Amino acid sequence: MIRFSKINKWFGDLHVLKDINLNVEAGEVVVVCGPSGSGKSTLIRCINRLEPIQQGELVVDNMKVHDKKTNMTRIRAEIGFVFQQFNLYPHMTALGNVTIAPVKVRKMKKNEAEKLGREILERVGLGAKADNYPAQLSGGQQQRVAIARGLCMRPKIMLFDEPTSALDPEMINEVLDVMRDLAKEGMTMMVVTHEMGFAREVANRVVFMDEGQIIEVAPPNDFFKNPRTERAKLFLSKILTH
Amino acid sequence: MWGFYFEQLVQSIPFFLKGLWMTVAVSGLSLVAGTVLGFVWGVIRAGRGKVLKRIIGAWVDLIRGTPFLVQVFIFFFILPEAGIQLEAFPASVIALTNLSACFICEIVAGGIQSIPSGQREAATASGLSSYHQLRYIILPQAMRTILPPLVGQYVLLIKDSSVVSAIGVTDVTRVGWLTVQRIPEGIMVFGLVGILYFLICYPLIQLSNSLEKRMTVVTTKL
Amino acid sequence: MLETFNFRVIVEYLPFYWKCFLATLWLSGGSLLGALVVGVIACAMRLSESRIISRVAGVYIESIRSTPLLAQLYFFYFGLPSLGIRMPEEATGILALTLNSGAYMAEIIRAGVQSIAYGQIEAAMSSGLSYLQRMRYIVLPQALGVSIPPMLGQAIVLVKDSALLSLISIVELTRAGQILTSDRFMPAEGFLTTAVFYLIIYYILKAFSHWSQKRLIFRGA
Repeated sequence: MIRFSKINKWFGDLHVLKDINLNVEAGEVVVVCGPSGSGKSTLIRCINRLEPIQQGELVVDNMKVHDKKTNMTRIRAEIGFVFQQFNLYPHMTALGNVTIAPVKVRKMKKNEAEKLGREILERVGLGAKADNYPAQLSGGQQQRVAIARGLCMRPKIMLFDEPTSALDPEMINEVLDVMRDLAKEGMTMMVVTHEMGFAREVANRVVFMDEGQIIEVAPPNDFFKNPRTERAKLFLSKILTH
Repeated sequence: MWGFYFEQLVQSIPFFLKGLWMTVAVSGLSLVAGTVLGFVWGVIRAGRGKVLKRIIGAWVDLIRGTPFLVQVFIFFFILPEAGIQLEAFPASVIALTNLSACFICEIVAGGIQSIPSGQREAATASGLSSYHQLRYIILPQAMRTILPPLVGQYVLLIKDSSVVSAIGVTDVTRVGWLTVQRIPEGIMVFGLVGILYFLICYPLIQLSNSLEKRMTVVTTKL
Repeated sequence: MLETFNFRVIVEYLPFYWKCFLATLWLSGGSLLGALVVGVIACAMRLSESRIISRVAGVYIESIRSTPLLAQLYFFYFGLPSLGIRMPEEATGILALTLNSGAYMAEIIRAGVQSIAYGQIEAAMSSGLSYLQRMRYIVLPQALGVSIPPMLGQAIVLVKDSALLSLISIVELTRAGQILTSDRFMPAEGFLTTAVFYLIIYYILKAFSHWSQKRLIFRGA
């Protein structure tokens, strides 16, 4: 579903992604973790070309993202992206936020989209808040609306860039619960996160990155119990003693 | 036809340069006087003297609420009735100085008020007098906030100086107006006028922009 | 001077002043609407990804900002006839005012657009919305909300700028003062009355600006 081949990316002179090779299959849940600056956010932002890549091939759902001529609209319609800072549109209600793309990009009729929107908001537990504005919602609620916004496009892939890092601790679980359900339903997901409990429960594989390179890829049990590389061991020791 | 007029225009260039000099003279004098006056008023406006603050505030409001052209007419036509005979050039400089002072006053007051009050408290606690506070603590810091909009204001005032052509001051605009009576190619004549103003104003605008960038210490959260 | 201030003349000319007041209002108002349209278009061009389109808009905006309105006004007043275009002075006046304020409006809107957190644009991009769709549904509605106070400021400037139209023989408030000066040799009565009318417009616009800022504070997220 997602294939990275020999990907290299620079920010000016800074080499942020070094020779990345990774395949993600349909229905897989992949968690990406690593220290700050390891390039993990950059990695998933390349998938829907929020960040362009300079070298290598990136194929998503059989479409070539690395090719500048590719029209990204079709690809982006199939990918839901959830940001660390939620990025909800403050001048629209929750319902407005989740329906604008289905109406404008998938050309759905407005009442169909609203019906779908309310269903999906219900699914993330916010059916009653459909007509509220983001400013009236808590952080956890806003992030769930953001997830609903992604889901309303009926995407094949959901990408999450540190979805709980900006949340107060008591709200992290409500968001993780939604993500867990999504994973169980078979959604292809790539999640950048520090939430190791989530990774252990739900991930098919864990990708560990450091300094722009993929250091280790392994199923969660193997990764957390028997990390093979020194850097992975170091990282885990720092994270797991919380 | 065009070629003929173009030649005549080229021959008029010395006239235009004299007009340019007049623009520079009127603007220059007014900006210098206006800056001095504007700083004085600005400090008062940011200070504690309630009565003076209000008076200056009311005057600034009057000036900001009426067109400069009307102010020029008032200074030129009405002051003589009060006994002060003025020629066009002095009247223009007085009007433009007044305009400058009013706008600069607001910029200065804003800059001073943007300094956290803690600075003043610390200075007072160490025993510095108001004058010393202003001179060594407040104004130096306020200048960072004041300088970019100040330069921007200078550009606006140089453009406003074109209005004094209406009472006969032979600045660049008036030279254009006089020339177009002889050379009826408005586009060429006022194109030249525009270029001359552009040569003065555009560099100043760029200066203001670059000052603004340098004065703003950007702290982006990543 | 006050002893000789002739109020009777003012009263006599009051109907004329009223007409001129209305003229100023509709000249400024019309130009304001035009400037909004021009401003939105110029801003969209300026922010376009095409370098040519962006440069064209840039040249327009910088030319306006680096030259005085009076020179621009004379440019059109004297220049258009030499191209064979004859327009009534009012049209020329509104054209000059519209193009002038349009450039400033473009910059105001641009500041509003750029004040929007980039994350939202990324979110919109990620859902597949096109550039135009992002502008129309996400960026512009918020940018315009933020832009209202500076736009009102520009409206005030526009009303004052309209005074220059008196110099191309358009009958409005400042011309009323000029007429009172040339017809009756009463510049004081003439221009002070003119000033009072302008101040009325100014204070009304200022009050409106305060009121709308209070409302906006409640709406903001």
